[in-house]
Amino acid sequence: MAILTVENLHKNYGPIQALKGVSFAVPKGSVFGILGPNGSGKTTLLGIVMDILKASSGSYQLFDEKPTDAHRRHIGTLLETPNFYHYLNAVQNLKIAAAIKQRGEADIDQVLKIVNLEQRKLSKFSTYSLGMKQRLAIASALLGDPDVLVFDEPTNGLDPMGIAETRELIKKLNKAGKTIIMASHLLDEVEKVCSHVAILQKGTLITYGHVDEILVTEDIVETGAADTQQLLKVLQQYNNALQVKMNEQHVEASFAPGKADLEAVNRFCFENGITLNHLRLRKKSLETKFFELTQNKQ
Amino acid sequence: MGRLLSIEWMKLKNYRAFWILLCLYIATIFGANYIVFRIQQTIYAQKQAKGIAALVLGNPPYSFSSVWQATAHVSSYLLFIPGLIMIISITNEYSYKTHRQNIIDGLTRQQFIVVKILMAAILSLISTCMVVLTAAGFGLADGTNPFSFEGFHYIGYFFLQAMSYIMVAVLMAILFKRGGLAIGVFFAYSMILEQILVLLMNKYMNYAGRYLPLETTDILTPFPRIDKIINTLTSNTPDYTMFFIIALVYLAAYLFIVIRKFETDDL
Repeated sequence: MAILTVENLHKNYGPIQALKGVSFAVPKGSVFGILGPNGSGKTTLLGIVMDILKASSGSYQLFDEKPTDAHRRHIGTLLETPNFYHYLNAVQNLKIAAAIKQRGEADIDQVLKIVNLEQRKLSKFSTYSLGMKQRLAIASALLGDPDVLVFDEPTNGLDPMGIAETRELIKKLNKAGKTIIMASHLLDEVEKVCSHVAILQKGTLITYGHVDEILVTEDIVETGAADTQQLLKVLQQYNNALQVKMNEQHVEASFAPGKADLEAVNRFCFENGITLNHLRLRKKSLETKFFELTQNKQ
Repeated sequence: MGRLLSIEWMKLKNYRAFWILLCLYIATIFGANYIVFRIQQTIYAQKQAKGIAALVLGNPPYSFSSVWQATAHVSSYLLFIPGLIMIISITNEYSYKTHRQNIIDGLTRQQFIVVKILMAAILSLISTCMVVLTAAGFGLADGTNPFSFEGFHYIGYFFLQAMSYIMVAVLMAILFKRGGLAIGVFFAYSMILEQILVLLMNKYMNYAGRYLPLETTDILTPFPRIDKIINTLTSNTPDYTMFFIIALVYLAAYLFIVIRKFETDDL
């Protein structure tokens, strides 16, 4: 079963096209990351799914059905910013959310505990810091133990501790069988917690699928020698390397993931008359990968 | 519907500005009528002044049966206050973005806006009840005539007028979304702009000003006797039944626009 299916969604704000025919499906039980830079259409996409924005064309389904308010009551959603009544405290705000979701108020204390807001639960929302507001929004999404959670930039405004906790929480929720849809501009966040990813740029879906398949990162071996020109020539003869190129003071050889063998590279160079003075394995940075992905499709 | 109203109650019950404004409003209904009532008492206590007043107004306005009409007329000048309350309660949702969150959490767009309209109706009802109590109180205090429900239909007109004013406020809130702007436009239009347009259009366009949105309800609650005198002087009596129907049509239009706009807009 697909939790969410979007088909050819378009959204225009006047002359600006925020979404240009986006289609994908979120499988049940996945942690589905929607990755893209600021202004790529992530929030617009989720806003349409949550019925607060109207699509210009295209359609979407929730739980393989025509979407209704009943579906939304079974999805815990944090969209863009924490939205609460400023003059009410955390408990009063969560009571309203629980009433709208038609759930009891029994788990209010529990969700506040999960996000570490128990101490301040009777303080007015207006007195909260950005991080606390974000925590309250996560707590509100958890109300009623929904099977699906939608988090738009969930770690926004959190301190490093809060970020780590939130990522752990997402993993834990997923282990408990929940489907999580998460929008983020942080590649590293998506890589750390998501099983699936869709990459959006300027309203276009560039690619989507398993994280392992899409965010595959090649191994790169950095080498250095006294005569780098000679080193370059030699390494270009090396069969296993996908690509060999000069990079400032080093020669870099890229390999398929997990295929780089430093010993073999060293031996090969030595046997070809080069003594290495620098040898290092590094992962291609995700950012570089992301730029590659987004650049190719433009 | 009860569930939706209880959610609305949770939003309002701890909102201090709402309660302060509501109490002030109720106090001003009583207060404004008290001022006019005192003036009447002073005039009717003096022999000479009473003679003139009786010639123009007949029995004191705050005596039965004209007290319903007099109180409705005087109180109608205060309808900007419940309008203000309504604007604040709607534009707050916009500025906190809780209108989005309510929909996200599982209200339908229709439920959200219909409950606001219901709140407008409840505010109109509260206003009307306060006017009834105030009118009955001053009618009894005046004591010229015994208690009577004659002329009570002006209370019905007042309810329609209250609903119209408050719905115009709701319309402004939905159209402008920002509190300051909505309040500014609502006050400027309802209190000044429309009055000027009414005067000009009545003078130069054969009483066309009477057909302006709020004027159609204002015309239904004139001050006792004064309306008849003016009508005689200008020899142009408005068709009250027609204005009642036009006011209802306007009200239906506000409801339609407000619901339609909230259901189809990007929130």
